[in-house]
Amino acid sequence: MSDLTLSSVKLCYAGLADPVLDISKLRLDAGSHIAITGASGSGKSSLVNIISGLERASDGKVLWDDVDLCTLSETARERWRAANIGLVLQDFYLFSGLSALENVLLPVRLGRVRFRVEHRKRAEHLLKRVGLARADQPVQTMSRGEMQRVAVARALVTKPKILIADEPTASLDEASGLAVGDLLIELAREEAATLLVVSHDAQLVSRMERRIRLSRGKITETATPEYAA
Amino acid sequence: MIRFIVADLKRLWAGSLVIVLLVACAAALGIAVTLQERALRLGSARAADAFDLVVAAPGSETQIVLASVFLQPSALPLVSGSVLHTLSQDPRVAWAAPVGFGDFYGQIPIVGTTSDLVLQGGKKTLTDGRMFSKRTEAVIGAKVEMALGDIVTPMHGLAHEGGHVHADATYTVVGRAAETGSPWDKAILVPIEGVWHVHGMEGAHGLNLDPHHGEQNETVSIGEPWTADTPGVPAIIVKPKSIGDAYRLRQEYRTASTTAIFPAEVLTRLYATLGDARALLSAVAIGSQILVGAAIALVAVIHVGQKRSQIAALRAFGAPRTSLFIIVWSQLLILTTLGAALGMGLGYAIARLISHLLKAESGVTMPVAFIGSDMRMVIGLIVAASLLALGPAALACRQSVAGALRR
Repeated sequence: MSDLTLSSVKLCYAGLADPVLDISKLRLDAGSHIAITGASGSGKSSLVNIISGLERASDGKVLWDDVDLCTLSETARERWRAANIGLVLQDFYLFSGLSALENVLLPVRLGRVRFRVEHRKRAEHLLKRVGLARADQPVQTMSRGEMQRVAVARALVTKPKILIADEPTASLDEASGLAVGDLLIELAREEAATLLVVSHDAQLVSRMERRIRLSRGKITETATPEYAA
Repeated sequence: MIRFIVADLKRLWAGSLVIVLLVACAAALGIAVTLQERALRLGSARAADAFDLVVAAPGSETQIVLASVFLQPSALPLVSGSVLHTLSQDPRVAWAAPVGFGDFYGQIPIVGTTSDLVLQGGKKTLTDGRMFSKRTEAVIGAKVEMALGDIVTPMHGLAHEGGHVHADATYTVVGRAAETGSPWDKAILVPIEGVWHVHGMEGAHGLNLDPHHGEQNETVSIGEPWTADTPGVPAIIVKPKSIGDAYRLRQEYRTASTTAIFPAEVLTRLYATLGDARALLSAVAIGSQILVGAAIALVAVIHVGQKRSQIAALRAFGAPRTSLFIIVWSQLLILTTLGAALGMGLGYAIARLISHLLKAESGVTMPVAFIGSDMRMVIGLIVAASLLALGPAALACRQSVAGALRR
């Protein structure tokens, strides 16, 4: 199990005087469930992008075991992300014309790992686990709640160590949002993955073990203060 | 991955269809030009096959070929009948047949000649009826819409050009010639004596010197032997016995009063001119292909732009850039290949249609066919398209994922 540690991380954009993200110290324990909150523009997405390797910090260290994500090339970060990160986004990003199963398997099919029967079995198992009986159902015929369940299954198909959900319930009705929240928490536990949820959903945030609040790129509040400096 | 590529194309079927059709039209234009030019060349060469050597009065060689082989209305000066006599006596000549034009039946040209030319010296047979044996009989070409027994009243010149009817002479259709794939299929063939008679040129050849007493004289003998007093004719088609004889004859009959030409040689010179026209048309076709290529590149860039967030999401889910590159590139390649294949079919169909229309007009059969170099052109088009597609594909991989996913 690996923890993720951020130290003196800054993300700056050309033309902006202040960094959009400025975190002196943040440690994410393996297997913990963490909520990240804050107004829009507070740096939530930037933090998620840096943790998932989608963006490289301008300064500082993002350590995963002995590996510093900030020193990796784009291709190496791409590999690291494919191996360790599962991503659930607000807008699902499912591909119509393909079945639920095909969508779940897409990261494997397009990825560098060779496709094996185990992948299919795992995908089928995950679809059952999120409560979808018909693996061959075309995604465009599904409800939004069902679509987000497919997305959750897809995020987990490669057995990631970190499951990141960016506003996973924001485009769902209350009941579906609740169900997806349950699934994320249960599945992260079952898979022993670190769960990182970016959300405005107070219900969902309240169920996380730890809450981090961001404001103008800085951590302003955390429910377990010993982790932040 | 293939499932994803196909599903993606299906989802964007309207745009995909437009690209396919654009490519198809560009390819069809180039292919139709090439095929049509080749068909015209092959068709006219085949039409001239039966005409080894043409002897006529000095004049434009192209005009002589157009008049004698392709039966284009044209007033050729006459070559003396004694030339016909000499040629028919020449041991190097298999047969020599006069051709005389100027009369029409409606739009159909009436050509005066001998059975030697109609039957190619015995090599061909009629498909129906029998050969003309009297001055008042006619054999119709394979494509003439008339029946045996029909009566033909010749008119001098075309009606719309102010021609006048030769009411005093008629022909009865007695046979139908085999198809030659040349304008002769759409002509009425009559004994040369008939043409002389209609134009009051019987002279020494006919038995009767007085046209008023000679009218409808069906007992006049037709065909050889010719004499030195035989009336003049616009052209004489000569079948030499050997290639050597052909060259010697051509040499000998290039005099002050006659000219001798190989229609094939004249056509070759015409093709050179035609080739220039084709080069121009090809340039136009290539230009249009470049324009279409540019349009597709633009469409592809827009397409990639629209799919920015989708592509970014795939990368966020762990798809490597190489996969995305292959997806975008192969989609464009599939579309252009489909378009090129469709364009080949379309170009072929267009060339066939034009050939069909031209044949209906001129009677010349124009065979439309693909040869090896056409495939090179199509492959060239696909290769060019695949190179053009590299740009948008690279663009798809270079964009910032975080930026594209930011809402």
